[in-house]
Parts: sequence; C-alpha cells; structure tokens
Amino acid sequence: MGFLRTIASRLLAVFRRRHQEKALDKEFSAHLEMCIEEKLRGGMTLDDARRAARREFGGVEQAKESYRQQRGLPFLETLAQDLRYAFRMLMKSPGFAAVTILTLALGIGANTAIFSMVNSVLLNNLPVRHPEELVLVKHTDARSTEPVEDFSYPMYRELRDKNTVFSALLTRARVDFNATYSGQSERAIGELVSGNYFEGLGVQPWLGRLITSDDDRTPGASSIAVLSYGYWQRRFGGDRSIVGKTILLDGKPIQIIGVTPPKFYGTDLARNPDIRVPMMMVPVFRPVPANRLQNPRHSWLVLMARRKPDVTLAQAQASLNILYHQTLNDELEQFGSRITARNREKYLANAIHLDSGNQGFAQLRHSMERPLLLLFGVTCVVLLVACANLANLLLARSAKRRQEIAVRLAIGAGRRRLVRQWLTESLLLSTLGGLAGIMVAVWAKSALVNYLPAEFRENLQSPLDARVLGFLLLASIVTGLLFGLAPALQISRASVSSTLRSETPSATSGEQLVSLRSALIFTQVALSLPLLIGAALFLHSLQNLRGIDTGFVKQNVFLANLNPSLNGYPQERIKTLYDDLLSRVRALPGVQAASLTTSSVVSGSWDRETVRVQGYVPRTDEDMSPNAGVISPSYFATLGIPLVAGRDFTAQDTAARPKVAIVNETFARYFFGNTDPLGKKIGLNDSPQAPLDIEIVGVVKDAKYVRLQEKPLRYFYTAMAQEPILFDMTLQVRTTGDSRNIADMVRAQVRDLDPNLPLYATTTLEIQIDDSLTEQRLVTWLTSLFGLLATLLAAIGLSGVVAFSVARRTREIGIRVALGAQKRDVLRLVIGRMAMLVSSGMLVGLIAAYAATRLLGSMLYEVGSADPAAFAGASCLLAAVAAVAAYLPAQRATRVDPLVALRYE
Amino acid sequence: MGSSRAEVLQGTLDLIVLKTLDALGPLHGYGIAQRIQQVSEDLLKLNQGTLYPALLRLEQRGWISSKWGVSDNNRKAKYYSLTRRGKKQLASEAESWERMAAVIGRLLAGTEGA
Repeated sequence: MGFLRTIASRLLAVFRRRHQEKALDKEFSAHLEMCIEEKLRGGMTLDDARRAARREFGGVEQAKESYRQQRGLPFLETLAQDLRYAFRMLMKSPGFAAVTILTLALGIGANTAIFSMVNSVLLNNLPVRHPEELVLVKHTDARSTEPVEDFSYPMYRELRDKNTVFSALLTRARVDFNATYSGQSERAIGELVSGNYFEGLGVQPWLGRLITSDDDRTPGASSIAVLSYGYWQRRFGGDRSIVGKTILLDGKPIQIIGVTPPKFYGTDLARNPDIRVPMMMVPVFRPVPANRLQNPRHSWLVLMARRKPDVTLAQAQASLNILYHQTLNDELEQFGSRITARNREKYLANAIHLDSGNQGFAQLRHSMERPLLLLFGVTCVVLLVACANLANLLLARSAKRRQEIAVRLAIGAGRRRLVRQWLTESLLLSTLGGLAGIMVAVWAKSALVNYLPAEFRENLQSPLDARVLGFLLLASIVTGLLFGLAPALQISRASVSSTLRSETPSATSGEQLVSLRSALIFTQVALSLPLLIGAALFLHSLQNLRGIDTGFVKQNVFLANLNPSLNGYPQERIKTLYDDLLSRVRALPGVQAASLTTSSVVSGSWDRETVRVQGYVPRTDEDMSPNAGVISPSYFATLGIPLVAGRDFTAQDTAARPKVAIVNETFARYFFGNTDPLGKKIGLNDSPQAPLDIEIVGVVKDAKYVRLQEKPLRYFYTAMAQEPILFDMTLQVRTTGDSRNIADMVRAQVRDLDPNLPLYATTTLEIQIDDSLTEQRLVTWLTSLFGLLATLLAAIGLSGVVAFSVARRTREIGIRVALGAQKRDVLRLVIGRMAMLVSSGMLVGLIAAYAATRLLGSMLYEVGSADPAAFAGASCLLAAVAAVAAYLPAQRATRVDPLVALRYE
Repeated sequence: MGSSRAEVLQGTLDLIVLKTLDALGPLHGYGIAQRIQQVSEDLLKLNQGTLYPALLRLEQRGWISSKWGVSDNNRKAKYYSLTRRGKKQLASEAESWERMAAVIGRLLAGTEGA
C-alpha cells in the first residue's frame, strides 16, 4: 500500500513540477529566515546570523536536488533533462556528432546487414504454417556417410498411404520448362509437387486455387499449373485475369489455376520455382526414364512430412522404419534372383532417418553457414574497433570538457548523475547511429543479395524483420554502453579543485587519461591485426584459385544452353537440330570452333557413369563411376584441350559405326597404368555381363571439370552422335575476338532454326569460372574491406592519442628542447611509448590470429592457416599504417618552440 | 570516526521525526530541526537541509501530513503533523528499536564481560 501511495505521489509530482519548485523555495527560505531570527535574538549581527544559518542548513542546492529525487520520478525527469542536454551538446559540435554517427552507422549497419543474412539463411523457418511440425524424411545408405534424401515413387506412395504418424507426407521434384505465352518462349524453373503439397504445408492461394490431391491421381491427366507470386509479377505483370488462361509448357497447353502468396518459395531456400504442376504430370514433362512412377529402383524424390501434433520425432522414425522395411522386403521379392545376396543385405541395412524440417531442405544453409558466421564475426570485431575509437574520441572530449564537469560537480551535481548524463549522451549517439545504420543495412543487404545466384535471390530479399530490428537495437545499446563507459567512469574520478584551479590538467590525471586511451589503442591493434591476416589469407587463396591451371583456354569462349527435348521433339529431330545449329554457328564470322557438350566445364554440375574396363578387375566396393560427358566433334579444339594420343571424334562416328570414347590422362593411368589405352574397350555398366562395346580412340590432357578446387578426376567422353537420347546441351563457341559479340548472331541462328527454342544461361567461359568463385570472392572482398576499415579506425585513434599526448607535454618538450634535445630525441620521446604499445598489441593480435585462422581451414585453397606470407604482409601493413598515424602528429612536437612552450600556462 | 558527533542513520531519522511530531504536535521543518538538536544536545550531526527529503518521504508513505500555516512570528510556513498511520508506524518502529537496542546492549555487555 505504502509503495503504491509513494508511486502515486511521485507520478503526481511529475506533472506539478513548477508549483512544487515554488513551494520548495518558500519552505526553505522560511526555514532560513526563522533560523536567522533566532540567531539575531541570541545577539548575533545580521551577517553572522546569515552565515551561521547557511552553515547549519548545509548546501541549499544539494538539499533541493535530493528533495527532487525523492519527490517525482527522478529517473524520467532527469532522462528528459539529460536528453535535452545531450542534444544541445551535440548541436554545439556538429563535426564530432557527424563523425560519430557516421562511424556508428557504418559499423552497426554492416553488422546488421550480415546479421540479416544470417537471419534469412540460418535462422528463419520456412514461410508456412507451423513449420516446427515439419520433418525431412531421409534414409541411411551404405554408399554414403550422410543420410540420403532420395526415394522412389512407389516407396513414397507406400509411406504416404500407410503411415500413422504424419498428417501429411508430401514430395516434390525439380523440372525445367520451356514456357511459351503469347508467342514468347523462355526457360522457367518448375517443380512437380504431390497433390497434398500445398495443403500439407498450409499454403493458401493468393489468387485462384492451388493443386489438391484430386488433381494428382491419374498420370498425365491434370494439365494445370500454379504460378509463384514472383513469376506472376515478372512475366504477367500481376495480371489477375491470368487465372483460367492457358500457357504452353514444353509445347503442351496447361491451364493456370492460381498463384501462391508472395513470401512462399517452397521447401528449399536455394530455389524459388516459377511454376508448379502436379506430380502425376511427370510422364509428360520428364518422359525419360519412362517408368518413373513405377520403378522402385529409381530414386528421384525428396520427402517432407508434417508430424501429427502428439507424435515425437523419435516415435515417428520408429514407426516409419517398420513400414519402410516391410516395403523394402516386398520390393526384394519382386526383384527375385536378379539381385545378389550381398546387395540384398546392403539394401535391407538401410533405415529411415528423420530430421526436423522447420527450415526445409538445407543444402544452402550448409554451404553458407561458415562464410556467413565468419563475416558476422568479422563485422562484430569491426564494430568493437569502432567502439574503441569512439571511446577514445569521447575521452578526448571529456578532457576538453573538464571545466564544465568540475563546475557542475562544484555546484552540486552528483557524480552518479554526471556518469548517467554521459552515458545518455553516448546512448543518444549510438541510437542515432543505429537509425542511420538501418539505411546502411538495407543498402548493404540488397547489395550482398545481388551477388547471389538469381535462382534464390528473391528468397533472401525479405525486409528487415522484427528479429533483425531487435538485433539492431541491441547492437546500438551495447555499442553505446561500450564506448560510453570508459569516458563516463573517467568523469566520476575527475577532481573538482585541481581542475578549477588551473586550465592545464594536472599531470597525474592526464597520465591516467593517456593510459586509458593507450589501452584502447592496444585493443584496437590487437583486434585489427587478425582481420587483416584473415583478409590476407583469403586474398592468397583467391589468387591461388585464379592461378589454377584449368587445362583449357578460358578466354574467348561463348556459352549458351538449349533444350529442344522440352518441346517434345522426337530424338531424330533433336539430333538434326543440333547438327544444323553447329554447322550454322561454325559458319559465322569470327568463329574458330564450335561444339556441344552435356557437361560444361566448371559449371558445378557433373555426370558420373558406372563402367566396366577391359582387363581391369575392380576390388569390392571400388568406385567404378568416373565422371563422364557427351560431346560433339571439335570439343577439344573449342576449349583448347590438347590431344595426347589417338584422335578426336569425327563426323564419321555415327550411331551406325562402332562406339568410341576418349579418356583423360588420369583415367588412362588409373585403369591402364603404363600400357597403351588406345584400342582398349570399356562398357557402360558394372555388371559382369555388360558388353565391352566402346573403344578408346583418344587420350587428352586433364582439365578441371566440376570446380576449380577439385583433385584430378578420371574422365571419359563419348560421342554425341552415338548417344541414344539427348536432352539439354551447352553450346560452346570459340571466337577470335571478344566472345560476347557473338551472342546476338548465335541467338538469331537459333531463332531462325526454331522460334520456339529459348537459348538460356548465355555467358562466357571466363564469367562462368569467375562465377564459380563468387563465394570466395565475396568473402575475400568483405574481409579485406572490414580489415582495412578496422585498421583505419585504429590509425585514427592512434593519431588522436599521440596528438593529445604531444599537446599535454608541450611544456616538457619545450624544456627538453631548451636544454638541447634534438629532433630525434623528441620524436623518440613522443613515439617511443606508442611503438611499444602498437607492437605489444600486434603480438597479441598475432597470437589471436594464429588461434582463430585455424577455423578457416577448408575455406582456403592451398594456403596454410598459418601462412607466413599472410601473417608477415598483414603485420607490415598494420605497422606501416601505425607508423604514419603516429608520425604525423608527433611531427608537431619537433616544431615546439621552447620559448612559446615555456611561456604557456 | 573520532568525532563524538554521529551521522544520523536514515531509519533513525524517520523515527526521530515521528517521535518529535508525536510529542510536540504539528511543527514546521525548522522547529523539527531545532528540537532534534536540543534533544540530542548537539551530539547528532544533521545538515538541516537534508531533513526535508526525509519529511517528503514520510509524507509520501502517509505517515505525516503537511499544511501551510502561520508561525508565531506571523511567517508562512509548512506545518507537519502525525497521521493515524504514522502513529501506528511510530509504535511499531519504537518497539523494534527498543528490541534492537536491548539486543545490542546485551551483546556489548557480554563481550565486555568475557
């Protein structure tokens, strides 16, 4: 009760301030006057009585202040007061305010931008209903250490229909479309989804309706499609009347039935399919192999399920496992004797493995986790360095404001109140910095996202959500406290009398200030050096990657993809089309060579084929699946891969002629050792009965095939003309000049051949290789940028401290010069200590870097984490910057005129 | 600490003020200060100004109330008086004070005896 009454009275007081101030004045003066009268009656003179009364009363202002603290809500009142005061102080020194806010905006903004990426990629759940109920269904596999995600359609159907633990078990598969609408064709990213996909995920239509289980019963029967919001906006300009209209997908009329909501991207952050069609349409859109929906050995589906609310993950897994093994047994019955006992055993050893699926399929998370966390750590360090810098700046300011502080202390300000006042000022600064940081963060994030592949860029473009804004607020407050604390505490130790007595700070308190500021410099150096070293390591690694011998000539090669099979053409027509295209392109001016391939080099995609090799007996479980590609003649001429022995494919290697292959040197060495591979035969299957019907006719030099970082791979090429079925191919054209100039001419030729055939992913080989290094480049640039920023901040701080100490010791320097000290002595005096400081900071930084860079390990290419060049280079750079930063202000010390200096004070 | 003038403890000051008002009836701040000095025979060191926040605190708790009035010399002053709640509070505080004093006294006596 008493507590409530107190609060009420205090609250009331807040609003009746002025009136109460008057009453307080009156009460105090009444007191004093009564006291004086009393003393006068005792026989004192008026002056003496006044003085005595004052003495007995104590400090009037102090009493008032503690009265006020008791009266209202002092916290709120003084906060408002402090804020007003802080604003006034900042307005008085706009330069200081601008520098501080800008530094903070950059520091907090960069930090928030990276956190926002961390949030989008690592923390956010799928944008669907109750994501925490979702699970990923995987199974273990003897061939892989990690559980694998792929299931066959019959297995999916069994698990879906017979399980008792899921409210929905849904599946999806990737598909590409050649989408034609009002005469314009383009490639669209598609997805085949089970009928329960949208219902299971809990997605509501934005427009029209979505695919349901009724749409997904009969193979090939449902010619309907759902558009993604992004695609609907991009391709159809958000036209609402599109629902019910028909588009051509791979030449087949498909009716659009609805649009998904804006934030929904599906179940995989790395993809954002434009068009979704029912799973039962797979025979139409992915006709090969023909029996996808029936073959239990063809695994091509990934499964996601929604747990029933009362079922735990472990229960679900146990229950599903029983069902899974029943189904596996049934399948083995069907295979009968066609399967060996050993394979049967392997097959049955598989087990269901469930993972929580609140974040969906997570390859992207795995690959981006380390670089993102690394960058986040780096921006945190930069923010710390910025904090140290601002603390330094504020300390210098507090030194300038000693007079003001001393006066305020003298007239009755409490020290705690002053400390709070200073913290208010720094929190105001950091909040303003944080607000400006929002703009930096938004800009920086969109710049970052633009670096990512277009396929999933949209998924990450979410605006700053509550979590990110919360982080920003927290970062601002922590920053403000961090850089405000040291100066605030410094004030609490300020001495009133010595400051008021003279203008110059006393030697001891100045010394204290210098040592505090020196500690900050030490910290900055120790923090900046690891960043610089990290950047140097990444630079070295990137340089190594760029310098890799790819085995081919990457300049002047134009690349484009096309997929006539999507248009439903028969294989004969596809082959003729490819042949016509090649001869047309070869005839273009400036073209040196042109060819087609199924696997473009360093594109990140690959094919592997299981083989049997003449005269080679594989060990049990030996990996007999080298990488493989299907190519047209003059492939090697286009890429500049030298032929070591034998011959290239020619136009004579047709389907009617004996099958031929070309292998790379690693393949030849692996399977044939020192014997001549030419004329040897291989077969495309590992079963002992498979015929050895492909003759090796050539050997070529090794090259990089999938990624630049890969180890040498066994690789063999087969001839395009002898391939029974062809899908998409990459056209590669070597030109005499800049290969980009050829793009329009090639496009015109394709349009001329077939107006419904889109040419997609047009690029050059150089760009393709560069793109494969996007992640490394991004990490390198950002760490370099942040490393330099931290160093620059440290240098500014160092400069400031040297300048401060020179100013403080002007008199001393003057005396020394008067006594005959040389320029060199003065410099040593001023810089000597800083050199000690910087080198000890660097020593700590080196140790920290040595410990921290080990974590980089696999992110570096052929660079040890303790790479001496990087450590030495970064240290030299930092030392040089520090030397310049210290020398410039120290220079001033050498110009001190002893006469002027001695007269000073 | 060699000084024989002791600092006034906060809880003690409350008790002193309440007792003073109980004994003398409504009184202004100066009067209370005077009385404290008289009773303590100048042994308590009290900045008279620091009395006012204490008065305000007691008033906020509802133990005393204040009213502007006129002093003997025709001067306007704020008069403080004990409320009913204040009387109860005084009784309980006095009791706990005495208990405490007795304990401390016994304790000190015991140590000296040992």
